[in-house]
Amino acid sequence: MRTFTGTGSLIRFILRRDRVRMTVWTVSLVGMMAMTVPTLDEMFQTPEQRLGRAAIMETPTGIVLGGPGYGLDTYGLGAMVANEMTMTLLVALAVMSVLHVVRHTRAEEESGRAELLRANVVGSGAQMTAALATNAVVNAVIGGLITLSLVANGLDAPDSVAYGAGLALAGITFGAIAAVCAQVSEHSRGASGLAFLVVGVLFMFRVVGDIAERGGSAPSWFSPFAWVQQTRMYDDLRWWPLALYAVVIVAVFAVAFLLAGRRDLGAGLVAARPGPVNASPLLNGVFALHLRQQRTSIVAWTVAVALFALSFGTLIAEIDTMVEQNPELVTRMGLDAQNMSSAFLGMLLLYVVMTAAAFATLSVLRTRAEETSGRAELVLSTAVGRIRWMGSAMLVSTLTAIVMTLLGGASLGLGAALATGDDDWVGTVTEAAAAQLPVVLMFVGLTALFVGVAPRLVGVVWAWFGYGLVATIFGPLLDLPEWMMDYGPFGLVAQLPVEEFETAPFIVVLGAALATAAVGLAGFRRRDLATV
Amino acid sequence: MPSPAIDVRGLDKYFGRFKALDGLDLTVGTGQVAGFLGPNGAGKSTAIRVLLGLLRADGGTARVLGGDPWTDAVALHRRLAYVPGDVALWPNLTGGQAIDLLGRLHGTANPARKKELLARFELDPGKKARTYSKGNRQKVALVAALASDAELLILDEPTSGLDPLMESVFTECVREAKAQGRSVLLSSHILAEVEKLCDTVTIIRKGVAVESGTLDEMRHLTRSTVRATTDGDPSVLRGMAGVHGLEVDGDTVTFDVDNAELDDAVRALSGLGLRSLVCNPPSLEELFMRHYGDELAALNGSGAGNGTGAE
Repeated sequence: MRTFTGTGSLIRFILRRDRVRMTVWTVSLVGMMAMTVPTLDEMFQTPEQRLGRAAIMETPTGIVLGGPGYGLDTYGLGAMVANEMTMTLLVALAVMSVLHVVRHTRAEEESGRAELLRANVVGSGAQMTAALATNAVVNAVIGGLITLSLVANGLDAPDSVAYGAGLALAGITFGAIAAVCAQVSEHSRGASGLAFLVVGVLFMFRVVGDIAERGGSAPSWFSPFAWVQQTRMYDDLRWWPLALYAVVIVAVFAVAFLLAGRRDLGAGLVAARPGPVNASPLLNGVFALHLRQQRTSIVAWTVAVALFALSFGTLIAEIDTMVEQNPELVTRMGLDAQNMSSAFLGMLLLYVVMTAAAFATLSVLRTRAEETSGRAELVLSTAVGRIRWMGSAMLVSTLTAIVMTLLGGASLGLGAALATGDDDWVGTVTEAAAAQLPVVLMFVGLTALFVGVAPRLVGVVWAWFGYGLVATIFGPLLDLPEWMMDYGPFGLVAQLPVEEFETAPFIVVLGAALATAAVGLAGFRRRDLATV
Repeated sequence: MPSPAIDVRGLDKYFGRFKALDGLDLTVGTGQVAGFLGPNGAGKSTAIRVLLGLLRADGGTARVLGGDPWTDAVALHRRLAYVPGDVALWPNLTGGQAIDLLGRLHGTANPARKKELLARFELDPGKKARTYSKGNRQKVALVAALASDAELLILDEPTSGLDPLMESVFTECVREAKAQGRSVLLSSHILAEVEKLCDTVTIIRKGVAVESGTLDEMRHLTRSTVRATTDGDPSVLRGMAGVHGLEVDGDTVTFDVDNAELDDAVRALSGLGLRSLVCNPPSLEELFMRHYGDELAALNGSGAGNGTGAE
């Protein structure tokens, strides 16, 4: 098997290179699990509390974050873990696996390091195999440790093993999907973008299927996100859904391998075509240049956000059905159908806002990549000033983030309107999205601040973003105190349509966005340009 | 005498605690081609980035075309063009697009000149930049810079990655630029290139200029190599002031002599009855080696020597 020559040394090399990164992922995920499980047990002790909790998991919001709802009737600790932790873990494992596989396949090729390796005694399939093998290792370790921590918390061993194995297999599946995407796209950014899109669509299949019917329906079964919970662990354990992972992993790996064999090192599946000899008259300044550089990701992100929002928005039709079938649930939670729908759309809108904020951050960070690659040096040695260069990049980020937020809100509302026939949703949700704009813009300003003043510390923005994400998702589930939510970026302004609009926070956050942007620009003008 | 195109006095630049420039002096006369020589890491690129306002000087003064490179950056950049040593391009733009873009950002796009230069450098402008080799990326930046109307060209190792044929095209282009009255700062570690093109040379080492002036001036300060055949025994030159490394092989003698003592040495030889005489002025390489020779010796001594560091 010459194709795989050198796989072993590459595996050791990757494990060594990524030992810190892998450890951080493992410790964070296992640590989160180890801390959350006892908390869940403590918070919900009486059967009434547990059933009240189970009722939340039956709402559409609960299903999006939770799952098909096995074990909700008694809702013991195991069922709680299965329903409340699984999606977060799966999403985290998907992110980890996609980034890992792309980093060790396409990114290596793009940087030219793969060429150095491939010229050595390394088979053509070794790099991808090593990337997938190491991804399997880290997923297996995480799954295994999670099983141990669950057993340590007194949960049934077979169910815990099924759970840990399911999580690990799902992570390996996402890694294999990423390996296929890495064959298709020439750029690591494009490869991971494509992989995340596929992962998002798969997530969506599970949500649609699970909302349609308790226990999941046909669409759920298309999604690796569903299979872990379909083992019904801690309820009525069955092992065979795990076999689906094995089948898919083998199939997807084979596809990736076939594709890899059909192309040259460094090339995508589609050969690079010659382009225009002259630049179009539109490419006449730095704004046009920044826009052009980000064109693909702007379109991809915006379309993805709009489509996801539109399809999630239609899910509120299920709320009406749910209210009809189970009026008792609604009264128990002290809600009526209208504000249940509002709460659902409000939550989905927060995801739109988070996506736009993530885009804004990445988009402004592109300036840093331009700088460290030396391309900024070339541009700034022409008659382009620092403020104009950085400012127009921030303008591109700002405009895109605004369009993405408003369009996401409008699509969400449109989905809701299409599903219920109530046209008012479009206006209501778009307005709610507009009320969140300062938060999105603050990420433009904040990222610019770090790029301009302390580029090395830009991780702070991501840390705060992550904190906000966790606080927003887990805050309500874990009953975190209100102040913890307030420190996160996504609790800063009033959340329409559930809450009333408040002017003061809107103005303050908008002011903060402008102030950080200004300081960032001033800092960028004053400092040395990074040199290659 | 018009004010120089570039005038640098006592320039300091720190990166943290590392002193990259240590009181550097550098002058480029208007209409002249100035060579800026030094091995990798001597501070050439740092100095150039200060001149472009990309880095801020920590001490000393720098004037470019009469202006301050930091505060007047944009206005000055309209009048100069820069070719970095390692050209990074936008992978999804073609070479032609990148050249047009740079020309437009500079404000002096010149399609006719672009076309001519593309032909001379044999660059295919329809290829995406990610498919270009290092040499081709270098050509993109060169074409963009040479197609502009800039009165000052700042070229940082512009021929690294070019093949010898393209190097001669480049040499030609620089000569034309000079004929048009433009000033050129040419940083390089290729000595032949500098020797061929430059009116003045500055040799930099560890952030400080160790030697500068015209080649003639610098030669005057150094030694020539003499090889002679005489009737009499040339050993009498041994121990003469200014004579170094004397080697006698029968009636043939080779030695280096300080240029100030050249006259005395030739007189002595002539007294012995000269049959043949070859006297070579020092090449730039020898000037260069004189300033870096000890480093080279240290490198060779440790068994890790790899020449002058030239690529």
